[in-house]
Amino acid sequence: MDAAVFIVSAVVVLTGAAGVLVARNPVHAALFLVQTLFGVAVLFVLQDATFLAAVQVIVYAGAVVILFLFVIMLLGVDRAEDLGIEPIAGQRSVAAIVGASMLGLLLTVLLVGVDGPTGARGANAALGGAEDNTRRLGEALFTDHVFAVELTALLLTVAVVGAVVLARRVRGPLQPMPVVTVASATGSDDASATGSDEATATGDDPAAEADDEGEAG
Amino acid sequence: MAVDLLTLAFQRPHIDWHGIAPELVLLGVGALITLVDIVFLEKARPITAALAGLGLLATAVPLLTLAADGTDRVMFDGAYVVDEFSLVMKAIFLLSAYVVVLLSTNYVAEGDYWENEYYGLLLASVMGMVMMASARDLVSIFVALELLSIPAYLMVAWRKRDLRSNEAGLKYYLMGVFASAVMLYGMSLLYGVSGSTMLDDIGTAVAAAGSSVPVVTMAIVFIVAGFAFKVSAVPFHTWAPDVYEGAPTPVTAFLAVASKAAGFVALLVLVLVAFPSASDVWEPLVWILAAASMTVGNMVALRQTNVVRLMAYSGIAQTGFMIAPLAVAGHGGGSADQALSAVVTYLAIYAAMNLGAFAVIIVLARKTGSAETTSFAGAFHYAPGLTVAMTIFLFSLAGIPPLGGWFAKFEVFRVLATAGEPWGYVLAAVGAVNSVIALYYYAALARRMWADDAPDGDHAPVPMTPSLASALGICGIVTLAFGVAPQLVARFTDVTLAALGG
Repeated sequence: MDAAVFIVSAVVVLTGAAGVLVARNPVHAALFLVQTLFGVAVLFVLQDATFLAAVQVIVYAGAVVILFLFVIMLLGVDRAEDLGIEPIAGQRSVAAIVGASMLGLLLTVLLVGVDGPTGARGANAALGGAEDNTRRLGEALFTDHVFAVELTALLLTVAVVGAVVLARRVRGPLQPMPVVTVASATGSDDASATGSDEATATGDDPAAEADDEGEAG
Repeated sequence: MAVDLLTLAFQRPHIDWHGIAPELVLLGVGALITLVDIVFLEKARPITAALAGLGLLATAVPLLTLAADGTDRVMFDGAYVVDEFSLVMKAIFLLSAYVVVLLSTNYVAEGDYWENEYYGLLLASVMGMVMMASARDLVSIFVALELLSIPAYLMVAWRKRDLRSNEAGLKYYLMGVFASAVMLYGMSLLYGVSGSTMLDDIGTAVAAAGSSVPVVTMAIVFIVAGFAFKVSAVPFHTWAPDVYEGAPTPVTAFLAVASKAAGFVALLVLVLVAFPSASDVWEPLVWILAAASMTVGNMVALRQTNVVRLMAYSGIAQTGFMIAPLAVAGHGGGSADQALSAVVTYLAIYAAMNLGAFAVIIVLARKTGSAETTSFAGAFHYAPGLTVAMTIFLFSLAGIPPLGGWFAKFEVFRVLATAGEPWGYVLAAVGAVNSVIALYYYAALARRMWADDAPDGDHAPVPMTPSLASALGICGIVTLAFGVAPQLVARFTDVTLAALGG
């Protein structure tokens, strides 16, 4: 049974991977990628890594590929990429050499290596009895690591707040440099009143020009 | 049936509410600031800074009760520990953050930046640091590191209309993420070796594996390299000058002091709890980092014309001094405790004198609008008090008695010399030579402020604000106290790590 599932999902993974390479339409390539990722998820289930399988489906097939699709759609799918052009000279031959050597290395390790794969499961942390790893993971997260988990929530909130603040466009004047509040240097006064671009453009005051040069140099 | 299984297996973790009270208070204040912002909108702006400052002080109250109680507390199976070391470090973080809030008050308000979010992010970053001081497992350490770093990336880019600030934010972010990735790789190797994320178990596993196992060596090198980035030690320092220059100056002060201290906390805990038996791996590594940071930082600082960049390179050199005691911390017989105390003492004093120097830079920049060394010329003629304060901070950074920096360097040299190791003496000699080099550029800046004349003969007084004055006062008092009465104050930084069970 295990062997049958393995063979079927391996075929799914490999045809998906081949499809990513040969599909001429980028959207089709992304969908083939989903197929590969689903196949890998099945392999995870086969290894009793149910949590990893769920994460594989939710994060990779669900989120990452959707992002790929977003980018592909935004850039336009109608323009088929001309594969004859090499953006970096010689990259294709280098890629072929590196790929062939990796394959050779892998085969050497598999076929003639002394410490080849044994087929044994997990070196560490043998899973005992009927407890599946999703439950054990959940327990670990909400007992020993509960503090870190709760603070991860804060971390995500902070990231969202920060992203909004940095990405938001503000109408109206926003001073470029807050350092000048008293009327000491005329050049800086211009800058704080009108924004640095205009200050440089209209900076007929010699002091203002000197200031700008000082900052540039 | 599924429900039955869950209720049977789940053991509610024991939570020591007193032990995590500081974190809870800080979290509450952060939530309060956000709520006030949502409810009162623009009307809340004037009080946000005060709220953040008071919140940080309120967080210190449970710290005091915990210190008075004095027992070591261990939570979450050893993942979270409240001991002397963590309490002192939390106090340093909170005080530094309080001074940073004082420095930011006028800067952020007058710059017309987002204010509530700024203080919210600042508190979140402090939260990460406070957590880092107690974290004793890889997961907590990593979450704490990200929690303190991500708000910092954002605050560096807070001057949205300034290209240099954007560049600094992007640079800091990319380098920081890269360092995190390298460190995570090291952590995953450690987990692979030990099968546990608790530092205590890792210490046992590393001792059992022996340091000659290549994967342990690789893990240690990766982790130390990741934190070397955080504390800006050579050769992982390249981000510091650009980021310090581009970031809003109060944020620069925050990065230079609190963020660096947090990196040191993690480094100390990892090295002394998780890898004590592998000292033949990290001692040479730390030695090289220390010697290179001191030398490169000081050499490049000599040529700087911008005070913030000068402070960046001086900070790199100071990192070298701070990390130096770790290079001889692996000999047993109390050498680890001595090194720990020396580093914590240095961090406390460095926080005071460096924040003080940045406070003066911020005050003077309010008048001159520039951080070039030439614009500091002649400050004595219009701001004698500030000039005296800056001289105190600069000479303290250089290590001149009777100022705090002298005591900090003295402790470092004492640890290096009493280790009885030839390498310790060599590192002490490198440090001594570097102290002399550092004195040159610190003194050159001081001389410019005292002796030269102001550019354009502009002698208008510097606009001072109460918050900046109190920031200067706090930094000045701490710097002097550590120098004049070291025995009295150093009691607080003579700390030990709680021995974990096992």
